[in-house]
Amino acid sequence: MTGLIWVFEAVLLGCLLVYRWTDLRSLRPAWAAWLLIFGAGAAGGVGLTSCVFFVVGVLLGSHVAALVLEIALLAWSAYEAFRHRARIDQFTTEVRPPVALPWIAGGLLLALGLATAAMAIAWDLTPNGNWDAWAIWNLRAKFLASPGGFASRAWSPVLGAITHTEYPLLVSGFVGRAWADSSTLASTVPAATSYVFFLALLSLVGGGATILRGSTLGLLAALGLAATPPLLREVPAQYSDVPLASYIAGALVFALLDRPVLAGILAGFAAWTKDEGVLFLALFLAGTAVFRRRDIRAAVFGAAPVGVLVAAFKLFLSRGNGSLLSTSLPGVGHRIFDASRYATTLAAFGREFIGMASGWYHPILPLAILAVALGFERDRRRDLAFCGAVLAALLLGYFGIYILTVNDINWQLQTSLSRLLVQVWPALVLAGFLALRLPEAAAIITRTPQPKERRKARA
Amino acid sequence: MSREPERVRYPARIVVGIAVAILLCLWGVFQSYAFESEYQRQSPDPYQISAQFMRLAPVLSTLPENTVLGYVTDAEAGSTSDSALLASAEYVLAPRLLTRGTNHDWVLGNFTRPADFAAFGKSLGLRMQQDCGNGVVLYRKEHQP
Repeated sequence: MTGLIWVFEAVLLGCLLVYRWTDLRSLRPAWAAWLLIFGAGAAGGVGLTSCVFFVVGVLLGSHVAALVLEIALLAWSAYEAFRHRARIDQFTTEVRPPVALPWIAGGLLLALGLATAAMAIAWDLTPNGNWDAWAIWNLRAKFLASPGGFASRAWSPVLGAITHTEYPLLVSGFVGRAWADSSTLASTVPAATSYVFFLALLSLVGGGATILRGSTLGLLAALGLAATPPLLREVPAQYSDVPLASYIAGALVFALLDRPVLAGILAGFAAWTKDEGVLFLALFLAGTAVFRRRDIRAAVFGAAPVGVLVAAFKLFLSRGNGSLLSTSLPGVGHRIFDASRYATTLAAFGREFIGMASGWYHPILPLAILAVALGFERDRRRDLAFCGAVLAALLLGYFGIYILTVNDINWQLQTSLSRLLVQVWPALVLAGFLALRLPEAAAIITRTPQPKERRKARA
Repeated sequence: MSREPERVRYPARIVVGIAVAILLCLWGVFQSYAFESEYQRQSPDPYQISAQFMRLAPVLSTLPENTVLGYVTDAEAGSTSDSALLASAEYVLAPRLLTRGTNHDWVLGNFTRPADFAAFGKSLGLRMQQDCGNGVVLYRKEHQP
């Protein structure tokens, strides 16, 4: 239980920092602003405390100093947040009343309850998560948490290829931090971490879409995500794909909301989460440079601190551990010109997309039905082009890695592709909902005459 | 000046579309719940990681955390069972470090079936130090006291 306190503390710290140092609370409707504060705060708080623990607790070798620094930051941000608290109007009148809002909100809560109940069964029966959780992420967390100076074993080449010691350490660092601070190795910590990222993801997409496209579409986007079968499967697996999905979606949301520093910070955390996040960071900055040129400096400024940490880790600490890309260099020319690899990979992409279904339900269905009912908006082409270009390039990058990999391609596709789609799917859902026409725009307004006028009309 | 109250309604196409989308999502999450809960009940903890903590408990209590151990097994090299046995043992024993082979003073034997573990070790130049049961054996190099 004490481990969970440190998970909660990180979320609280992140929320206080976001509340105090960003202007998200000025966004409307206020409940969507709070969702964004929670989403950015939870994902950012986990990222920040993970980095502090890694730099101060692991590299400088003092878990106590990392803990003291964190507590001091928490106290200071709480004081600052209290000093700058502002009264927020909870209810704002939208131009048109949202469609069926209580029904969508009720559906979302019901979906969240059912999803959590399914996860609780997995937490109970498979408490250590799936393969990668104990073979990679939580194993490395144990090294980082150990008090005897064995942290460097988390990136030791001795561990072997299946442990992927070249992977970045955001999730392992965060879990290791909570284990070290609580002096336990409770399996509830990685499970709770995964769940926090799931809630942050729903909040970021739901809150962001609400502010960008109104309450109806925003809540429907969150509901659509909460009903995505492979996403729900990945949460209790305790892998790093749901955290990465949160950072990808969050970075895009804040870029679209003209908060480039926050977007850059989350994109930086994506790079510290997984190697795919490094690719995302590069593409995100490239996309910003092309489509949102005035934001690029601020985005780079936001991403730089964690980007430097990732670069230092890759260049100095895990240098001897070959990445998937570097180990794939021998014989790459032969594989690039092997047409069958393209066919195999393309077929697997199609198969995995269809395989996102549970029974006959596929998560694309609600979006498709809404597209038919509402139609598409034409005035958000630039936002869509930005999101679409970054996500298409990311998927293309994933595709290219399958072509290049030296590992057996069928094994590689079977063991990873479904998770790669989970990383990108929430951002695709966000882009899909941005493209839809506002339901409120189709409102038919009739004016009801006042009783006096009615009498006059009758006379 | 009094404003006339407005009555807002939406075309049936939109209301029906949104209602169907909500119901579909709820159906989807219900389907997921049914599938996942059934799957978890049928194959809980498929690699028996929780059981590994009990299986390897004697090793945990015997060896200090700074130990680097060798590792031998009878599982077919490169098989899923081989990888699962090694990775789960690494997880349970961390921060102790496991490396395949017998190049360390302490060597963990992680076996899938009963055998003459002492003879197995002897053939590799190892002396059986402790048979922890359940296929877990601690060896030391022959020259160690």
